[in-house]
Amino acid sequence: MDDLFVKPGNQERGWNDPPQFSYGLQVAGSTRSPLTKRGPPPPAAGLQAPPPCGDPSPDQQATSPHLHGITPPPHKMTTPTHRITPPPSGVTPPLSQATSSPCGSRLPPPPKGGPCPMSRPPSGPDSKAPCGPRAEPDPQPEPDLQAVSSVLAEALEACRQNVSRQVCEDIAKRLRLLEDSWTSGRLSSTVKRRMNALTLEMKSSHWSAADDIHRSLMVDHVTEVSQWMVGIKRLIAETRNLSPELLAFSPADPVQPEPVGN
Amino acid sequence: MTTYQEFIQQNEDRDGVRFSWNLWPSSRLEATRLVVPVSCLFTPLKERPDLPPVQYEPVMCGRANCKAVLNPLCQVDFRAKIWACNFCFQRNPFPPSYAGISDVNQPAELMPQFSTIEYVVQRGPVAPLIFLYVVDTCLEEEDLQALRESLQMSLSLLPPNALVGLITFGRMVQVHELSCEGIAKSYVFRGTKELSSKQIQEMLGLMKPAVSGQQGRPAAPQDPSATCRFLQPVHRVDMNLTDLLGELQRDPWPVPQGKRPLRSTGVALSVAVGLLEGAFPNTGARVMLFTGGPPTQGPGMVVGDELKTPIRSWHDIQKDNARHLKKSSKYYDTLANRTAVNGHSIDIYACALDQTGLLEMKCLSNLTGGHIVMGDSFNTSLFKQTFQRVFSKDYSGEFRMAFGGTMEVKTSRELKVCGAIGPCVSLGAKGPSVSENEMGVGGTSQWKVCSLNPSTTLAMFFEVVSQHNAPVPQGGRGAIQFVTQYQHSSTQRRIRVTTVARNWADAQSQIQHIESSFDQEASAVIMARLGVFRAESEEGPDVLRWLDRQLIRLFMFHLRRSPFLQVFNNSPDESSYYRHHFVRQDLTQSLIMVQPMLYSYSFHGPPEPVLLDSSSILPDRILLMDTFFQLVIYHGETIAQWRKAGYQEMAEYENFKQLLQAPLDDAQEILQTRFPMPRYVDTEHGGSQARFLLSKVNPSQTHNNSNGWTQEPGAPILTDDVSLQVFMDHLKKLAVSSST
Repeated sequence: MDDLFVKPGNQERGWNDPPQFSYGLQVAGSTRSPLTKRGPPPPAAGLQAPPPCGDPSPDQQATSPHLHGITPPPHKMTTPTHRITPPPSGVTPPLSQATSSPCGSRLPPPPKGGPCPMSRPPSGPDSKAPCGPRAEPDPQPEPDLQAVSSVLAEALEACRQNVSRQVCEDIAKRLRLLEDSWTSGRLSSTVKRRMNALTLEMKSSHWSAADDIHRSLMVDHVTEVSQWMVGIKRLIAETRNLSPELLAFSPADPVQPEPVGN
Repeated sequence: MTTYQEFIQQNEDRDGVRFSWNLWPSSRLEATRLVVPVSCLFTPLKERPDLPPVQYEPVMCGRANCKAVLNPLCQVDFRAKIWACNFCFQRNPFPPSYAGISDVNQPAELMPQFSTIEYVVQRGPVAPLIFLYVVDTCLEEEDLQALRESLQMSLSLLPPNALVGLITFGRMVQVHELSCEGIAKSYVFRGTKELSSKQIQEMLGLMKPAVSGQQGRPAAPQDPSATCRFLQPVHRVDMNLTDLLGELQRDPWPVPQGKRPLRSTGVALSVAVGLLEGAFPNTGARVMLFTGGPPTQGPGMVVGDELKTPIRSWHDIQKDNARHLKKSSKYYDTLANRTAVNGHSIDIYACALDQTGLLEMKCLSNLTGGHIVMGDSFNTSLFKQTFQRVFSKDYSGEFRMAFGGTMEVKTSRELKVCGAIGPCVSLGAKGPSVSENEMGVGGTSQWKVCSLNPSTTLAMFFEVVSQHNAPVPQGGRGAIQFVTQYQHSSTQRRIRVTTVARNWADAQSQIQHIESSFDQEASAVIMARLGVFRAESEEGPDVLRWLDRQLIRLFMFHLRRSPFLQVFNNSPDESSYYRHHFVRQDLTQSLIMVQPMLYSYSFHGPPEPVLLDSSSILPDRILLMDTFFQLVIYHGETIAQWRKAGYQEMAEYENFKQLLQAPLDDAQEILQTRFPMPRYVDTEHGGSQARFLLSKVNPSQTHNNSNGWTQEPGAPILTDDVSLQVFMDHLKKLAVSSST
């Protein structure tokens, strides 16, 4: 699932730059209910306060933010007091640094506990926190350049009948750029994998899916792909307009890719 | 029986309308006593996944000065195939295609659940959408590289049949030919000289050759095939344009020490508007301006090129010390109005650490419905992702952006329309339903919204014109119809019709009923828009005083302190930017902007909303604040210490790890979808960025009173600003003492 990831923003160029979401995550959208409630209004000298803006339930009247019959997380602490002064857990924190509060006393650790339902139901696709670590790429073997470029070359050949020579040459030039970048190690493995997926979609004539992959690569990895990706885009657009008999991808055979555009 | 809350919500979900009052006082006199006028927030293109458009033309009333659309409020005689217009009472025959209708076989537009309905109409040839990039080349190399890449990326996001064009500018303005073969050509304009539209078209070779001997002809129209050299379908020129963008160089003119680059933004925009004007009137077109600094030469310059002369601040403006302000504002205003007349829109993407002249240029977007995006650099996630989201698609895979909108309002006789506030211009359509009292953009019953999307929201103001003591009209309901015509992103022309009605009530005998129909949220946002509209055209302090007399207390407290009305501590550009978004967003987002959301996360239980008050800031809590423009995650003192100590890494403190994660997950939801992308602040007690939270909360505890009578917990705020309590006391005194 390496098309779903979050990267931190560019803090050097923009203060408080928000994290960057991959194309896949943005398209997926949000599945959780939005945060639209407001806190209770301040009391007006003992009178009933009017319903606050945004809060549809008129019965929240407490001024203190503490709670109405909400079960606390399951752990040893049972005190109903305001402040958390968790009982000593019995295991002293292994850190030796003196994490002392300003008044010099030792910092009590947070309440212990295993996983508990802390927040609202999680959203659909696997997503990490903003500024969290990147999703680990799957440990797949890297795709073969031959497999990818043979599909593209066949598609280009099929186009030569209907598409102008100028355009075909331009596409061919960019396919060469792709191959150069690939062989010289300038492409990340994510890009290689996604290009492989793209060509597989092309082989199955899933043009919209292929187009979508091209788009996600342009959005997520523009620096790596911008020079040649527009050629792929054009190839997909031209190929999908061809009548099926002109386009017959050979099955996955180890045939040499035809020399393109000499 | 539904409560008013439910009634209000259902109506908003179905029609995209929120009225300040849901029962209308039946006389003008009573209506004016209510302080908040009869008004509404209207979202013309509210997303309705459950509403498939119908594929026929709407049926309209035959009376020439009515032309209301057939709707569920109309009386119908199914046998005689006649319907009575509910606005003018004219009896109209149904068209022949409706011969088969009956009581049990009604067309959709008569059914109550289709009070909002959308028609797809086939009219004339299909016109493609146009995207004209106007790019500043006076950028640092890092920024220019990031912008190049974003523009190249956008070619993959554009609708494939759209026309695309490129103008670059610095000291000179270059219009690039996008033909497919041979050498790249461009036409160059001096950045200092103001040109008329005709001159621009002539210089670009766009005029049809004049036939000799025909003197005194009106201006020759543009030759569309010639215009094509500059605006080509993206599917044909994407490779060429990708290379052209990749080879864009920084403006070659050297910038001496102590000087700003010479930026001819005014002429560049004028060339762009002129290019589109002749050949593509009233076609969906976006001019997208990308700029990294203020205009420094030519018409529309905002500041000179000497760095020692800073760009104007609010202080300068108040002291009448802003040399270029009036002239440039007028220049852009004229340009904006011309663009709106042509049905085109202008976006401004301004990324720089200093101001870029948004104060002067804001009308370009505010009048046309274009976006304003403000960032620090083109090489930031905020710009890149916000720009990507311009091309976002909806639930059915269609682009959200819509073009060439015109909105018309019809009212029943007892009402007139006073005006609209939002990203629109007047079409000057006079008629029986136009009031002489103007609020916002008034004097018309039709407005143009050149660019719009599903969240674009207009505030509409009405007045009740019935005389005092006139009997409440039979049937007892007033009606309003909104007819919005627009070009869908698929280039289809569509018409969306929303017809709403509310009961009249006699204020003398039913005042409690009228009061119970009051929509506090809608009223607050509507009054706030009115306040911002007045602040932009009148003196600031007068607006604040006017606002104090409007007694929506809690909201007004925050509004008074908000950047929409309180310009202290913001630059003129920042104020323009915040106001631009406030005056077009829907109700929920607008409320967030004035009165931010605050959610609290702790071990005590699930996350919950808390009061925007300093008493909510506690050591053992994490707070998530959403101001719309910023998302702030604030870790209380104890939480911060635990985090620093690394407890989240230890297996037995898994719940602490989850506590830290919870607000991040909620923040992510917002970050993934909001347009524009907000800033993201992760801070803690004592952190310098904590000021974003501290400046928004009600300072119920300050250094002035923290040793006083209150025993409230919470962090004292260092401010001299009044607290809500003091404000409310003051207001109570005002309300009691004023007799009006």
